[in-house]
Amino acid sequence: MKDVANYKDYALLSYHHIPGVHNLEIFERAGGYEMMKACFLKDPEAIKEEVKNSGLRGRGGAGFPTGVKWGFFSKDRNAKKYLLCNADESEPGTFKDRYLMEKNPHILIEGMIISAWALGTQKGYIYIRGEFYQQAVILERALKEAYAKGYLGKNIMGKGFDFDLYVHRGAGAYICGEETGMISSLEGKKGQPKLKPPFPAIKGYRGLPTMVNNVESLAAVPWIMRMGAAAYKQWGTEKSPGTKLFSISGDVNKPGVIEVPLSTTLKEIIEIHCGGMRNGNALKAVIPGGSSAPVFNAEDSYSVKMDYEDVAAKGSMLGSGAIIVLDETRNMGDVLKWTLEFYHHESCGQCTPCREGTGWLESVFKRRDTGKSQKSDIALLDKTAASMRGQTICALADAAAMPTQGMIKVFREELEQYVTTTGKK
Amino acid sequence: MTEKVNLTWNGKAIQAEKGSNLLKAALDNGIEVAHYCYHAGLSVAGVCRMCMVEQDGVPRPFPSCNATCGEGMVVRNDTPKIKSAVETTLQFHLLNHPLDCPVCDQAGECGLQDYYMKHGVYDSQMIDKKVHKEKVQDIGKNVMLDAERCILCSRCTRFTEEVTKTNELGILNRGDHAEITVNEQLKNDYAQNLVDICPVGALTSKDFRFKQRVWFLEEVQTTCIGCETGCAVKVSENKNGAFRVKPIYDHDVNGHWMCDDGRNIYKHVSSPTRLASATENINGLFVPADELAIQATLKGKKAKYILSTGLTVGEYANFFKAIKGSKAEVALYTLPNLGVEFDGLLKRGDKNPNLRGAKAAFEAAGFDHTQAALDKMLGSIASSDAVFVVVPEILYNEDHFNTLIKKVEKAGTRIALTPGETLGTLRSFNYLLPVPSFLEKNGEILNYQGAARTLRAGLSYGETSKDVSYYGKWVNV
Repeated sequence: MKDVANYKDYALLSYHHIPGVHNLEIFERAGGYEMMKACFLKDPEAIKEEVKNSGLRGRGGAGFPTGVKWGFFSKDRNAKKYLLCNADESEPGTFKDRYLMEKNPHILIEGMIISAWALGTQKGYIYIRGEFYQQAVILERALKEAYAKGYLGKNIMGKGFDFDLYVHRGAGAYICGEETGMISSLEGKKGQPKLKPPFPAIKGYRGLPTMVNNVESLAAVPWIMRMGAAAYKQWGTEKSPGTKLFSISGDVNKPGVIEVPLSTTLKEIIEIHCGGMRNGNALKAVIPGGSSAPVFNAEDSYSVKMDYEDVAAKGSMLGSGAIIVLDETRNMGDVLKWTLEFYHHESCGQCTPCREGTGWLESVFKRRDTGKSQKSDIALLDKTAASMRGQTICALADAAAMPTQGMIKVFREELEQYVTTTGKK
Repeated sequence: MTEKVNLTWNGKAIQAEKGSNLLKAALDNGIEVAHYCYHAGLSVAGVCRMCMVEQDGVPRPFPSCNATCGEGMVVRNDTPKIKSAVETTLQFHLLNHPLDCPVCDQAGECGLQDYYMKHGVYDSQMIDKKVHKEKVQDIGKNVMLDAERCILCSRCTRFTEEVTKTNELGILNRGDHAEITVNEQLKNDYAQNLVDICPVGALTSKDFRFKQRVWFLEEVQTTCIGCETGCAVKVSENKNGAFRVKPIYDHDVNGHWMCDDGRNIYKHVSSPTRLASATENINGLFVPADELAIQATLKGKKAKYILSTGLTVGEYANFFKAIKGSKAEVALYTLPNLGVEFDGLLKRGDKNPNLRGAKAAFEAAGFDHTQAALDKMLGSIASSDAVFVVVPEILYNEDHFNTLIKKVEKAGTRIALTPGETLGTLRSFNYLLPVPSFLEKNGEILNYQGAARTLRAGLSYGETSKDVSYYGKWVNV
């Protein structure tokens, strides 16, 4: 197979090779903002329908169909509503949104303007992860350009439609990537998820209807409008249509962000797009959807197709498309230890099972450091993780429990050996 | 009239208002559901995850505190799935909770203890180091905080945010290092409610700490006499006296709360300096005297009475019945207003517990209850033989009362009937007689709404009589 990794064939990254495309002028010369102009001539409901027909699934991790989510949103165009872009990309292993925004911020802005027109929101926020300072600067600059052009602000394109867009930097909490946690943070409160129901589409930011979508989902909207839902669906499968960004990290020769149609095999991604395994080492495991996804062993990794159904059928989740490739030199105990440390650190502390559970998982797994460990710790870990699942307001407890249980399922012996050998003092 | 809906909880048919809280519906119908963070007087937090239920037709368990009642709902919290979820969640609650029940004031009425008896696993797997937080923090207003015992149910932070709107408390840090943070020392007048709503021993009352074990206490449901609001309260007491006052939910008067001033109303009842029996002033020395003998000496004297606003409706009636036909003069001493007229929550500036009852009784008996009548009586006080002064039970402003005492000093024989502490200024009186406190009498008082509030006699205290006609006894002289 030849190296088919490229930038041009698909959608989201197709402008990324153009030098200076982050400038509005160059972006427009390449065909940017055309869709926005075309969409303003369309009925908002038709845009919603098109997005719904495209079958686009939310790219933030949960994979909930974007068009269906939009369907829950208030149709009253005069009501005060918000469009919120989730750019708080904090899942370990994920860096696709960052890549998308820093190279081509205008595609996101265009997507947001079209979405805002479709949804009838007057204000939008791009909630960007605190650590993405440079990306925030790039976005701010792009916003300024868009305002200067009259694509944002009052009476856009003479349609009597107002849309203001702001960039809001987070303060570095993983939990603010959860949509209600993000809303709390945006409201100036401690970044803690809120009880659902009510869902943000009904009662979100400042108690008003708020649509929260991932960067990649919003950036896909102009492409869907450009090529039409039917053409968009040529890629991927019936239930996972379209292309997806994957951020690949770990022991491959060419880590990075790629755009491939959903349902591309993981083998192809590793072997062709990423140039194979580092140093020719054997593949040991792959975490297919960010740190919260259960791990695949080498066999599953080579047979899985990267779409929502197939990954789920093999017992993991596609998540945000963060593929972490681990080769034979890696100790799975270390991987789990770092994962548990991360979730312990990031639990917001609101719900008891998560607050106490994430800490305890870490303590149990680190008993080797105090010489108290025993083989049964793994069983305890499994039981504790299981009891955390489905018990909390948001999915953070599950996000900690799933990789733990997944790791135990696949690498139990290695973990038992890990906990019973003394760790470094 | 709100619409009622029928639902089934663990197979038991219950009725509730449509759209009302599902957990509350269960609790109101006597179904026990473990919960920590839910409190009917506060917003829903949904963080303790103890009240999880399964509903027919709903795929995932959900917390009942965040659900509303709908017609035909079939809900269970006794399924194996929920039972094991509650067990493990309780384990999580106890994971970093210190094992200091023997020295904890909450022991005996602690949510963790109660639910552990029912849902506990009894087999600890915790051999790891617990997370330590700051203990014994005085956060003001008689409230002590032990951050280690806290299970972060957030009731207290929601209370300061939603009820008092003073925001003294918050939650700092994340994960298992989260703890209650004191933004500033408590400054609201309802701080003691924090102790009540804390389901564990994290917030304890400095006033009550280490005085009694709660299982040695009995509760008497009565009414607060601290002001005209007349909050429903329960007083914890035993043979050694009263120890604390807590509010009882009363929809029409006080809701869930009571003010901090009301927490102190029990103090005089078992005070060691409280007058226990009738005493006579012999050259400045108060010696026990026989009540009958005192009555005999006062026989035939022209009596004037200054009543307080703290008597019950029954006591006023008995009094006026007893003096009917005599030439006795009667006036009413009204406590001065203190602070704002109404603080927007419960506290009222009018500190007279039964002013409405007193006025009604005075009017019914043809006496004048106004300040003018009292002034008139005080103006001619020197000409009177015997003056009876009923000392108000709770005196916020002693100086105001002492000016009255000063004026009364001109009278011939002065008799004070005191249900509370013996004031220094009463030294000028000839006789001091004990009368029952609010905790020693049954009866009713009329609060600011004119609603009858019940006073209930608790356990017996010393020698004081519980007879409501006690005041009347002194009239036939």
